[in-house]
Amino acid sequence: MSPMTALPVLSETASAVAPAQAGGVYSLLWLVVALPAVSAAILLLGGRSTNAWGHLLGCAAPIASFALGVLMFVSLLTRDAHDRAIEQHLFDWITTGSYDVDAGLLLDPLSMLFVLLITGVGSIIHVYSIGYMAEDPRRRRFFGQLNLFVAAMLLLVLGSDYLVLFVGWEGVGLASYLLIGFWQHKHSAATAAKKAFVVNRVGDMGMALAVMLMFATFGTTSFVGVSAAAEGASTATLTALGLLLLLGACGKSAQVPLQSWLLDAMEGPTPVSALIHAATMVTAGVYLVTRSNFIFNEAPTAQTAVVIVGLVTALWGAIIGCAKDDIKKALAGSTMSQIGYMHLAAGLGPIGYAFAIFHLLTHGFFKANLFLGAGSVMHSMNDEVDMRRYGGLAPLMPITFLTFAMGYLAIIGFPLFSGFWSKDLILEAAFAENLVVGFGALLGAGITAFYMTRVMLMTFLSPKRWADDVHPHESPRVMTVPLLVLAALSAVGGVLYLGGWVVDWLTPVVGEEHPELGVPVWVISLAAVAVVAAGVAVAWVLVAKRDVPREAPVRVSVFTTAARADLFGDALNEAVFMRPGQHLTRSLVYVDNRGVDGTVNGLGGLIGGASGRLRRLQTGFVRSYALTMVAGAFVVVVALLAANLS
Amino acid sequence: MSVVGLLFLLMGAMAVGSALLVVTTARLVHSALWLVVTLGALAGCYLLLGAEFVAWVQILIYVGAVVVLLLFALMLTRAPTGVQTGLTTGNRVVAAATAGVVGLVLVTVVVAGFGGARVSVDEESVGSATSMGDAIFRHWVLPFEVLSVLLLAALVGAIVLSRGRASSGEETP
Amino acid sequence: MIAVHGSVLAQEIEIESPNIAYSAIYPILIVFGVALVGVLVEAFAPRPRRYVVQTVLAAAGLGLAFVGTVLVAGDLPETQNGLARGGIEAEGALAVDGPTLFIWGAILLLSFFSVLLFAERRLESGVTAFAGQAAALPGTEAEREASTRGLEHTEVFPLMLFAVGGMMLFPASNDLLTMFVALEVLSFPLYLLCGLARRRRLLSQEAAVKYFLLGAFASGFFLYGIALVYGYAGTVTLAGIDGAITNRVGGDGLLLAGIGLMAVGLLFKIGAAPFHAWTPDVYQGAPTAVTGFMAACTKVAAFGALLRVFYVAFGGAQWNWMPMMWIVAALTMGVGCVLTLTQTDVKRMLAYSSIAHAGFLLTGFVGVQAATRDSDDMTSLVAVMFYLLAYGFTTLGAFAVVTVVRDSSGEATHLSRWAGLGKQSPVLAGVFALFMLAFLGLPATSGFMAKWAVFTSAWAGDAQLLVIIAVLASVITAFVYIRVIVLMFFADPVGEGPTVAMPSVLTVVTIAAGVVVTVALGVAPQPVLDLAHQAGEFVR
Repeated sequence: MSPMTALPVLSETASAVAPAQAGGVYSLLWLVVALPAVSAAILLLGGRSTNAWGHLLGCAAPIASFALGVLMFVSLLTRDAHDRAIEQHLFDWITTGSYDVDAGLLLDPLSMLFVLLITGVGSIIHVYSIGYMAEDPRRRRFFGQLNLFVAAMLLLVLGSDYLVLFVGWEGVGLASYLLIGFWQHKHSAATAAKKAFVVNRVGDMGMALAVMLMFATFGTTSFVGVSAAAEGASTATLTALGLLLLLGACGKSAQVPLQSWLLDAMEGPTPVSALIHAATMVTAGVYLVTRSNFIFNEAPTAQTAVVIVGLVTALWGAIIGCAKDDIKKALAGSTMSQIGYMHLAAGLGPIGYAFAIFHLLTHGFFKANLFLGAGSVMHSMNDEVDMRRYGGLAPLMPITFLTFAMGYLAIIGFPLFSGFWSKDLILEAAFAENLVVGFGALLGAGITAFYMTRVMLMTFLSPKRWADDVHPHESPRVMTVPLLVLAALSAVGGVLYLGGWVVDWLTPVVGEEHPELGVPVWVISLAAVAVVAAGVAVAWVLVAKRDVPREAPVRVSVFTTAARADLFGDALNEAVFMRPGQHLTRSLVYVDNRGVDGTVNGLGGLIGGASGRLRRLQTGFVRSYALTMVAGAFVVVVALLAANLS
Repeated sequence: MSVVGLLFLLMGAMAVGSALLVVTTARLVHSALWLVVTLGALAGCYLLLGAEFVAWVQILIYVGAVVVLLLFALMLTRAPTGVQTGLTTGNRVVAAATAGVVGLVLVTVVVAGFGGARVSVDEESVGSATSMGDAIFRHWVLPFEVLSVLLLAALVGAIVLSRGRASSGEETP
Repeated sequence: MIAVHGSVLAQEIEIESPNIAYSAIYPILIVFGVALVGVLVEAFAPRPRRYVVQTVLAAAGLGLAFVGTVLVAGDLPETQNGLARGGIEAEGALAVDGPTLFIWGAILLLSFFSVLLFAERRLESGVTAFAGQAAALPGTEAEREASTRGLEHTEVFPLMLFAVGGMMLFPASNDLLTMFVALEVLSFPLYLLCGLARRRRLLSQEAAVKYFLLGAFASGFFLYGIALVYGYAGTVTLAGIDGAITNRVGGDGLLLAGIGLMAVGLLFKIGAAPFHAWTPDVYQGAPTAVTGFMAACTKVAAFGALLRVFYVAFGGAQWNWMPMMWIVAALTMGVGCVLTLTQTDVKRMLAYSSIAHAGFLLTGFVGVQAATRDSDDMTSLVAVMFYLLAYGFTTLGAFAVVTVVRDSSGEATHLSRWAGLGKQSPVLAGVFALFMLAFLGLPATSGFMAKWAVFTSAWAGDAQLLVIIAVLASVITAFVYIRVIVLMFFADPVGEGPTVAMPSVLTVVTIAAGVVVTVALGVAPQPVLDLAHQAGEFVR
């Protein structure tokens, strides 16, 4: 295999890796990406002959990658803290003199955690999908696309160069697009898929420009090269870079103002929502910001922007989550909100990077758990998603209920559960940085407690509201076992912070800085618990103490209306982008087809032209085209002369 | 002014005058015949400048071939030969202005391109068969040969577009 | 007496034979030679055999010329301190240098696959997609008779070879006169080919007439521009014009007007706004094989010529023409992208998309990043040439796909007829989706690498604003391409839906070539980038 070299990341001691240690495991790094990719190729191109065993291969690939990942993780643990960056060069991708791009992979503490999360949670969700998609005739294709996603996501986090990252970035976008639209027969699924892709393109534009700017100013796009060059770069350049990267992150992670696609993306099968739109892909923005810490650290304005985006989204998503009756959309709002927290933490700088990643990991556990639990409920309720038709499911689906409860306790930050640790750390960092941000984050925690309690009560505990022909039942073991695993992780995920391990682990990549608080840490924790308790109490009063109507009430407050309409995100997009765009298009078409004609030939020509068009299915006259050319030539020549001779 | 100069002026005036008549006369056939005069007068100009080869080529090809072809076309199609009204459209002012501007620019180009360069008419020079042959078959030989390819392509195209029933009757060529 | 006179003549005129380095220009001669043989075949071979003979002849001729191009490229001498390779041949008429040969190679490869498309017979049940008898008026008895007798015009093959010869000559021309002749040689057969569709003949003939009239109009501009430039420089050779520009300081009206008018002629061929109006109509009306051929090869040739004229002859005046080209590039991208949105016909959509791509190519062109001695960064030339090759194969493949999606009246080009194609024929729809994604510039397709190349070279050439516009434009086009994919895979077929006719191996090979190149240039672009890089700069 290719030779391997160690890579210094913000550290000078990691100049070489002893070959004896490196040889074995790390030379297989490419396999981590290749296994799911090959499996995807087999499943997507193999045709019907692979139907029989397609799902098994589809599960085997991420599990094998996970096994490799664990081996490497163990091996990394034995190494010196500053010696944990391994690069594998695959091939020269682009070489043009001074500018080279190597297709290479970089394994360091940051990407290691992501590899474990993606392949670990990914494997669990794959196994779950065997049961969930059992009756779907296109199950093999589903696994193929899911494998494609895993491969692209791994490439995203393992790429050693922004351009390689970008390939993975677009790859996950494509896979997400395919999977959202997996149920092609549903019109809404197709529309949602398209919306996701197009909104993401806006973010991708930011990414593309950022990479271009790096190339133009630094002459390189590799992480090592850019981090070295960033030290000497001007703040203006770095701020521009930071803002462009933030735009990319907003698109992928559904942050305000590019948040609108995520709720619609719930049209995809539930395992997809769990894997892509909760646990992994949508967190790619956080990865990007954290990975680019060498840029953001030097660009305070961009950092502030990240914090603002994060805070706004944290509240925005939480508010949306309160009003949704569709269980998946409520969870999607919550995903937006939680990723907002991660961005907020990452925007705080070295003080928050590790906390952001920590929360990302725990969120990966509990949100995947919640989504799969929701999927289990839907599975037994004939794919009903409206929580107003649920209720009283706890005794009928005990395992689903208990595992969902674990996830619930984790997300609201119930003491000792995983979310408690990670959210608490973010709150500390936020308070240390800025009081407004701190209180905003605290408020978000309260709202989270409210809407999650509402989901919990409406689904499992309140009186039953389902129709007679629905027969809720516990899901098969192939679905409940993954739920149990994830529930366990949700509960005890906090162990990653045991002795500050996760922070120490990430320090070589992102640096370290401890929050300095004016008050003791326990005050913040106590305040958080108090706010959460208040949120739960409000939910209890509003939901459990009353009857939940089967139909959503129409006469509701302005706030509920707004939240139900996703805080008018779509309306805003429409007013700001779509309508002007449509007007521009229409007027351009008008000028192109008719304007020239109209001005020259007057109304008669227009009418004659219209009938002629109908007859010949043709739009234009040669003479008007020729006239456009003359006008164009005239403008070109006059502009040339005027610009140069004046 | 020398005799040659006087003759040149005369020929030039004749060319311009008949050219005007080409576009103003009301009969198509007359128009074609006036074109003969224009082109002939131009040939005279060439001759006076010592470019005898170009002059004869002008007579042979333009007067002898192009205009005759034009007349054939007029005769073979059912084009009216009598006086035509309405040949001059309302766009004549624009057309005249365009022609004027184009002419003006071309004159400017020629003046700028050659500047004050003077060529003695008495010596054998640019327009002779020798120098023309030399230029065409040595320096410009490639474009020249390629032009013949262009003509062949046009010929093939013309056959494709026009060969109708005559060939459809035959089974094999 | 006569003998004596003859000898006197021979003494007086010493005829020097022109100095033609056949060893350098024979690829062109092969193409023209095979075209001439094709004309002879048309005259003498029995009608039933012509199709096979012409197809084999054309394909073999193009293949041979490609091999010749490779051989010529093998021993190009280095000049200009190693920055360029090659020399001026054929009495100064042709510049046979690295970029020329790269472009020749691209044109020959693309036209080779176009020949395969031209020769496709299975889709029209045993005849080619060209009119059985062009002279028969549409809808007449003669036309029906021609079609029942299975007549077909095999003249299309020599005509196409003439066009290919012109396309090779165009970017290689070292003086404006040769360039003008080449422009006519490449255009004339195309005008004819556009009018020869078997189905929808009125549309096709209208397209041909439009293309002819507007093309002649554009040629007029080009010629007038040449005249003005000649007036300025007193010469038509590119090096001579460059010398005149460097020696005279300041802008000159004659030169600028000449540059402007010549730009009109070239931009017309490229399909840049505001000279794009012909593109959709002609692309839609022409037989699809011809459209593919035009979209791929004409663009390559015309861009080659544009690059040569503006870099070699007008390079010294680049600060004068750059603002104009900026505006044209921005306008072209805007018009192309926005109008692609509203198209309902696949061929028109691809036409507008080709306009948009012309804009992206112009972005790379405006960067004017030349090679220097001590660095070998991505030059504009390398970027644009790479883009041309990548785009050529993708667009040819896309048009090849259009030929096989059919209904009872021939090709089903209305987009609504493409709904549900993914269910009907997942492979074909997948292939078309791949081409759409390449147009869009998704990573790991050739489109991404191509866009990346032109954008980076333009950015390094201080055209940042234009790059931002270009990136925005490519975001807009995402809507269109995604709409097509959604339509194919997620929409239900209207009525009976389209049928995917099974083409013969010829079309299959062409589509496969498109797929292979699209993927290969996206995943491993390095060999081709190296090749373009080795080609070096234009010789002067």
